[in-house]
Order: sequence, then structure tokens, then C-alpha cells
Amino acid sequence: MSITLDSPRAPSPRLPAVRWGLSLACLGALLLAPQVVDNYFLHAMVLSMIFLLPAHGLNLILGYTGMLSLAQGVFFGIGAYASALMGIHFGTGFVINFLFAGLFAALVALPLGIPALRLRATSFVMCTLGLVVIAQAVAKNWVDLTRGDMGLSGVSRPKFGFGDNVFTVVQIPHYFYLILGVAVLATLAFIALVRSPAGRCMVAIRDNETLAESLGIPTWTYKLLVFMLSAAFAGFGGSLYAHYETVVSPLVFQMYYSNTILIIVLGGGLGRMSGAIIGSFLFVAVTEALRITPELRMVLYGVVLLILVFMFPHGMAPLVERLTDFLSRVGLKKPLEHSDAGSVGGPHGR
Amino acid sequence: MGDKQVSAPVMLSVRGLRKNYGGVPALQGVDFDIPTGQICGLIGPNGSGKSTLFDCCTGLQASDAGQVLLDGVDISGWPMHRIAREGRLLRSFQKTVVFQTMNSEDNLILAGQMASFPGVTSTFSLGGASRARVTALRERARELIEISGLSRVAHLEAGQMSGGQQKLLQFATMLMPNPKLVLLDEPLAGINPVLIEKVIESIQEANRRLGITFLVIEHNTDVLMNLSHRVIVLHQGQKLADDTPEAIVRNSAVVEAYLGG
Repeated sequence: MSITLDSPRAPSPRLPAVRWGLSLACLGALLLAPQVVDNYFLHAMVLSMIFLLPAHGLNLILGYTGMLSLAQGVFFGIGAYASALMGIHFGTGFVINFLFAGLFAALVALPLGIPALRLRATSFVMCTLGLVVIAQAVAKNWVDLTRGDMGLSGVSRPKFGFGDNVFTVVQIPHYFYLILGVAVLATLAFIALVRSPAGRCMVAIRDNETLAESLGIPTWTYKLLVFMLSAAFAGFGGSLYAHYETVVSPLVFQMYYSNTILIIVLGGGLGRMSGAIIGSFLFVAVTEALRITPELRMVLYGVVLLILVFMFPHGMAPLVERLTDFLSRVGLKKPLEHSDAGSVGGPHGR
Repeated sequence: MGDKQVSAPVMLSVRGLRKNYGGVPALQGVDFDIPTGQICGLIGPNGSGKSTLFDCCTGLQASDAGQVLLDGVDISGWPMHRIAREGRLLRSFQKTVVFQTMNSEDNLILAGQMASFPGVTSTFSLGGASRARVTALRERARELIEISGLSRVAHLEAGQMSGGQQKLLQFATMLMPNPKLVLLDEPLAGINPVLIEKVIESIQEANRRLGITFLVIEHNTDVLMNLSHRVIVLHQGQKLADDTPEAIVRNSAVVEAYLGG
């Protein structure tokens, strides 16, 4: 038995350094963005970073654990409402509202996930779709709490106290830096999760749940925890949204939000660390670019999606990965290939 | 060979195991004991209930009646992951299965992970204790990769490896968490003669050096008779015979039902 000569090359030892270098360069460019682009583009980038949080959550549950949840928009909305209600009824500040929103979304996911995660594949998807319908109905009809279609207005802007000085985030560049900071922290948390031993269990469940179970992995428990974590990511995103827009209405539970988050993850690259980041900026860039033709906007949007699906079925992240792989090999004298790999596997081939 | 070890303590004891699929009986009250440290063969015609027996012993399927004792502990009704983690009973599947998108090292680390970490929540940590556990698992994984002859393809995702390489990886996976009992479902199916020798050597080595007990389903009866200390024969969901390989090949009922003339 022998391996073929076109076996993929072993990764370059420089690859991690190149990845971190490119990531820091992108972060540096983002830090400089408010100095060089106008508020319109900053607003677009703020939205893309807000959507990055639920997209990380969906990537965790769909990309890494293999379960398609259409309820990500629901938890985004729950986070937005939780944050708004906390601020309005208890006068709490941004930080408490933000933390509460993520925690509350995760807690709501617990009783929903216990029955839903007994289901497999399409039944689970249908169940999460049902949650979207229920959430819309509750937001519209529980008027005493949500004010129905009128929504909740007057959500406070984030305030930070430094001694006697209180700084209120009002201008878009300030929002940009605040949300950039949260997005970076969320991305680091996401990376830590998928690189932890639990991340390996998630991939195992995605690849073969029965095999994972046969190796001692309590798959249902992991799926429930991942469902709650993905809800928490979405809840945090919803809180940012509420404090940025300062208004929350039942529209936040529209299927549009779940679809948007799904498109971000699929377009960026499912099950890849950079997928949601690329997807969130790409999605906003496409949406904004198509504003030049308002009449044909949605048609062209659909066409762009079809082109993306056919040309890049694994999303845009593999392109970026190829670029980083290429850069990591530039200047290396000897290609790191395994073309010399001879016969393996048999008793005489070791 | 087998009769010398009959007095050994029992690793797996199956009592009155029954399983029906709808109205069709797959197992009709099967009883047998697997002594600790032995390699036992399990043979029988297609549909005799061999794989169902594996499924019921490992918790993949719930039995309708009966008892499964592992090292003296009643594991009937335990979920599959608990049987693997606490009982240290592992199994392979008829079709070779590995985690396709992980390389060999990650496949093996994963196999040993749940035995190394105290609980689910501890696996979410990237702290020092967690890193130390993963480092120890990585070292053992590299040893097993070397022993299995998979070093040159270790960087590949398992899905990119050949069927034979995946078979070797699957076997190494079984050894990773230091199991007490391993159930192998047709480990020699679909592999070339050179690799058959390699797999047999690996089973014997693991049995001799690590003291792992094996129960092996295999249709290659010549190989199985040489490999096993004892052989159990199933026929139409019932135990037809349970004896040494020498006695099994002389058993007229077994010859008529399975081995043929």
C-alpha cells in the first residue's frame, strides 16, 4: 500500500506566524479605519461586527458541531430585548445589560435545546424554525412586556465612568471602537473554544456522532452546551444591536436575521475560524454595494449568492487559507512535500 | 489452548440477551462468558445476530431483555458513552469509521480524551492541567502512529488516507484509552493479505502485552480459528456452540449451519 504523490503537503512551520501576522495587519487596518473612511462606511462595518457575534455562534453549532440551527436570529432578538428591558426597567448600564443578554439567551436555549436536541437532522432544523415563529408571535402579542409592534425605544447609549467623568458613546467612530473591542474578544473566545479539547469533541460529533459516542463522548451533553454557547454569542450580538440602534421591535425576530447569519457563515466558510469574520464583512460589502440599484437590489443579491455558491462552495475562507499557505512558503528553499513517502501500512513498510 | 484458561475471571458475561426488530427476533436469549485476557471469536451466518449482539453489549441499541455484566458490573441500560468511558469497553464497526476531517493524531487524542479528563466541563478549558493532559495524549498518539506505520501520512486528514490506512488508524484508536475489552466487527474485511497479517499481529500484541480481552466477529474462519482462544457460534439469534477452535471445527451442528462441508 502506498500513498499517492499528490498527497497534500505538510503545513509550513511558518504558517501560524503568517496567520497571526495577517490577523494583526487586518486589526491594525480596522483601528485606522475611522481616520480614513466616512461615517456611512463605519456604520456598515459596525453592523458587520455586530453580526459577527451570532455568526461565530452559528459557526460553532453548524460549522463545528454539524447541526443547522435557524434559531440564531431568535437568540439575537432575545439578547436585544433582554438588554433593552433591563435598561428600561432597572436602569442598568451597558456592561450589565450586555452580560445579562448573553446569559439570558443561553438560559432560554437550555429548555428549548433539551427536547430539540433529541431530534436529528431535518427534524432539528424544523424545530428551530418553529422557534422563530413562536418568538415573533410572543414579541408582537406580549404587549405588556414588549410593547408589541411599537417596540422598545429609548434604549440607553453605552456609558463608561472614569472617576467623576462619564463617557457616553454617541458618535459612530466611538461605537466602532467599542464594538471592535467586543468583536475581538468574542473572536478570541471563539478560537479558544474550538482549540480546546471540547472543540475536538464538537468536530467528532460533526464527523460521526455514533463513533464519537462509542469513544466515550457524551454527544447530547456537548450538543446542548454548544447550543447554549451559540445562543450566548447571539445574545451578546443582540445586546450590541439594541444599544447601537437604541430601538428594538419584533422585526428583530424576522427570518431575515437568521438567514443573514446563515449566509454570513456559509459565504465566509463553514467550520473555519476565519469564516464568520470574512463572511460578515463580505455580506455587508455586497449589501451596501448593491444600494446603487435599489430596484434590482434583491435580485442582484440573489445572483451574487448563486455565484458564490457555485464558484466557492466552501466559502471564501479557503481562498484566504491558500493565500496564507502561499505566503508561509515564500522564501523556503525546500518544498515541504511528502512525495518521498513510500510504502506504508504493511508489516514491511514501516 | 482455550480450555487452559477457563478458570480465568470473566470480563464479559451475557445473560439471556433478547432483541427483536419489530416482530423479527434477532437475539433469542443468548448466554456466554468471555474470560479476561482471552481472544474470542464470534461466528455465524449472515443475520445470525452477531452485530446486534455487539450493539446491545455496547449500548448502541437497547436490548429487550437480559443482562450484560462487564468485569462484574451490570452495564445493561447504560448509554454507549458511559460504557466506553467508565466500562472501558470499545468497539469497531463493520464499515471502517474514523473522523474524516481530523488527522491521525487528533483521531487518537480524541479517542483517549474522555478517559483522561474528569468531566465534560473540564474539556472546555485551555488551562495548564488541560494542556498537560493533551500533551500526554499527544505523546501516546505519536507512539501508536509510529507502531501502526502511519507516520508518513500522519499529517493527512483521515478521509484522505487509503482504506487500509484507515483500518490501521481505527485499530490504533481502539487501543488509545487503555480498554479492558474490545469488540472488533470484521476487522479483516476488505483488506489485502499483507495488511491482514499486520492486523492479526496487532491484535495478538495488544492481547499479550496490554492484557486486552477481544471479542472478534470475522468471516475469515481460517484466520479466526488461529487467532482465537475460544469461538462462540451464533445461529438464528441463539448460541449454537461455545468451545475451543479445535472442537468447533469438529462440531457437526456448526459445520452444517455455518462452516459447510
